Amino acid sequence: MTDRVLTATTHAHPAGPAVIAVEGELDYYTAAHLRQALQETAFTAEGIIIDLTDLTYCDSTGITVLVTAYHRAQASKAPLALVGLNPDLNRVFGIVGLHDVFASYPTVDEAIAAL
Amino acid sequence: MDTAHATATAPRGAGERRRTAAVDRYRTLDVHDGAFDRITALAARIFDAPIATVAFADGDRLWLKAARGVSAGLTEVTPGPGLCAAAVLQDTSYLVRDALTDPRTSGNPFVHGDPGVRFFAAAPITTADGHRLGTVNVADTRPRDATDEQLTALTDLASLVMDQLEVRLGAYRTVAAERELRSRAESLARTLQRTLLPPALPTVPGLDSAAAYHTASADQIGGDFYDLFPLDDGRWAFFLGDVCGKGAEAAALTSLTRYTLRAAAIYDPDPRAVLANLDAVLKGEYQGGEPRFCTVVFGVLEPAEDGGFTVTLASGGHPPAVIVRADGTVETAPTPGGQLIGILPAPRFASTRTRLAPGDALLLYTDGLTEARTRIRAMLGEDGLTAYLTAVAPQGADDVLAAVRKLLEDLGRGVTDDTALLALSVPTRDTTVPVQENR
Repeated sequence: MTDRVLTATTHAHPAGPAVIAVEGELDYYTAAHLRQALQETAFTAEGIIIDLTDLTYCDSTGITVLVTAYHRAQASKAPLALVGLNPDLNRVFGIVGLHDVFASYPTVDEAIAAL
Repeated sequence: MDTAHATATAPRGAGERRRTAAVDRYRTLDVHDGAFDRITALAARIFDAPIATVAFADGDRLWLKAARGVSAGLTEVTPGPGLCAAAVLQDTSYLVRDALTDPRTSGNPFVHGDPGVRFFAAAPITTADGHRLGTVNVADTRPRDATDEQLTALTDLASLVMDQLEVRLGAYRTVAAERELRSRAESLARTLQRTLLPPALPTVPGLDSAAAYHTASADQIGGDFYDLFPLDDGRWAFFLGDVCGKGAEAAALTSLTRYTLRAAAIYDPDPRAVLANLDAVLKGEYQGGEPRFCTVVFGVLEPAEDGGFTVTLASGGHPPAVIVRADGTVETAPTPGGQLIGILPAPRFASTRTRLAPGDALLLYTDGLTEARTRIRAMLGEDGLTAYLTAVAPQGADDVLAAVRKLLEDLGRGVTDDTALLALSVPTRDTTVPVQENR
């Protein structure tokens, strides 16, 4: 349990949006890191990009955190995009019906171009 | 200084038993961070002596918790007369100026053999309630004297050892108490979780059923659930699902979900309507706080003319059910596009209809199974499950369940989430025809 690691690093992209890069396993034990990073991020019209390229695992608690971000983005009319869903996460998103909820792109550049 | 005569014979009786109990209490503490090594280093430097040890006296054994100047790896010795064994019987510091001529140490093998101790000084490590656990010792291979300052410093070092032990015992007890509390809370949550599963599945005429709950980890419970129950028009309903999160909160959400599903099924048993009702209830319940969701497959079984059943299934964000047909083919009952329940603004719930003919089996499972990571850390997935069932070709609910439980056992630690399983099958009607060769 202690070997589960997650880092969430936020930086402002020169093009405007805040990019939160998530790395590791997002689950019940580690979700607090991403939750906090999201709380510390302003949801503005510039947009928020959550980069999941280096995410290796995501459980139901992780999904909750992502959907909570979606709710907040809707409420504050801030564009939100996910980036780099790996095949496993793509499969999970398919099962739980989240492809219709989130805009997702292969790369940060493509997300920025679309926002 | 005290050089009073003492014997190496340990006193027996109730006092010694209490002292030994005190030694046991502290001796088992692990001090691996070098705190006692710093004590022996200081003692050696203060006395300019090559040998220094921190030793606990336990009956007729000496346990070296730290040692310098002695053979590496030496942790336990049988003490001879006149050195540590005598020092631990003293209230104050103990001194031997020349062990070779001192009558107290005349029979000690550490004096006459290796390492040839001539000078020895020790101070007792004494608990607050007066039990001497052991001693801090310094020794040299040449005869010499010690100053009062040196012996006072040695006594101070022994007090430092005691302080360290008290701090560690306190921390150890706090951790142990916390662990105990947590384990009690977990076992309570797990008991609660058990009450959320039906103790036994009801007997449905013309249907075999089997269910199981596979626990991935003893210290965090998941929120998986299932049920099978009659509707009032001769049909039967069943569901299986998983709530987000773990622990007591998940158990509370499971309770609400299960109760709501049964109530909604009485109101309007159409599977999609049941899931929509659950969605509304969860949104009302968790308004404002962190949203909570679940994934559910809900189904209605309607007896058919041929002895089978028509099954109507609806899924909200749940992996598709798997059907093992009588001829061994394995297929899924696709419910694509069904979304999470309780967390999305206007979720869609997908439904499908299929028939269970005699010999067919339906398997519902939670994602602990398909998210199980195999040894190469790839997820097993629905394809993996389908391929496995095709290869094993189980027949009937019990057989299907046994096959999947074996798969879970084989995956072992790869299964990181609890898994609930519910299998329903229609028995083959003509039992005079041999079903298959013994497998």
